[in-house]
Amino acid sequence: MSRKLGALALALGILVGAMELKTLLTTHSNTVVIMANGVSPLPKLPPPSN
Amino acid sequence: MPSGIALAIWIVGMGAGVCFVTCSLIRGSFLRYFFLNLYVMLALFADLIRQAVLRFYGLDSPQYMYAYFYTDCLLTITLFVGVISLASRVFAELHLSRYVRLAAVLLLLGTAGFSYAVVAQSTDRLGTRFAVELSQNLYFVGLVLTYLLWGAVLKLQETRTRLVQMVLSLGLYFSAYAGSYALLNLNLAVKFEIVQYLPPLIGCFLPISWAVTIMRHTEEARLTPARLVAVPR
Repeated sequence: MSRKLGALALALGILVGAMELKTLLTTHSNTVVIMANGVSPLPKLPPPSN
Repeated sequence: MPSGIALAIWIVGMGAGVCFVTCSLIRGSFLRYFFLNLYVMLALFADLIRQAVLRFYGLDSPQYMYAYFYTDCLLTITLFVGVISLASRVFAELHLSRYVRLAAVLLLLGTAGFSYAVVAQSTDRLGTRFAVELSQNLYFVGLVLTYLLWGAVLKLQETRTRLVQMVLSLGLYFSAYAGSYALLNLNLAVKFEIVQYLPPLIGCFLPISWAVTIMRHTEEARLTPARLVAVPR
């Protein structure tokens, strides 16, 4: 049981940490995307979701 | 139409992907690293689709944008599963694989829920916005997860060469994307044309490094863990 709770706590911790990092990096940026997979050229970026 | 440099990067990336999957099959590691192979195969497939759409509609078309971001979302989810499969192997000796998988499912559901909450107010093109948001959030989750995995590999003094090199490659890959994002935000792409080729160039890195790992090292290959030397003061 404690290991399951540990897994839940770890998942929540990673999610919170990742979203903090995202907020930190994207707050002062002028684009909305960071991710990219593959070797194709980047397209026109979509408008921010406000 | 793509420029000559973009086309050259695309060909190198496709060749590297094919090389990795072929090497995995030849060395009998395809099923052992199934999710990494699945990611590379899906990336090849996605790049073929993107190239077809790009040639037909052009770089600035909404069709290419949709094709790019939907396939990117699919690839990011597959890469996340690939990272989890590596984490599961690292923690297998501690009999924690089951809990790693549980945490991964919770993490994926949590990220999807968070992404939906962010875009829920937007009624127009909800699907596209959700795909972009989920992909971006999963990128950051993958980044944090890879660094944690890096730490676990160091702490547990993991010696399996292939596993260590694959985890290190992932860490470098995620870090390089973060770096290219920073350069794009500095508007250097306007000044230096090469900056806009960085993301696809980094895309070549992962299949190349994994292919080199599979080719150079066997599954039995082990690294000698670094020893800490106590120096008297």
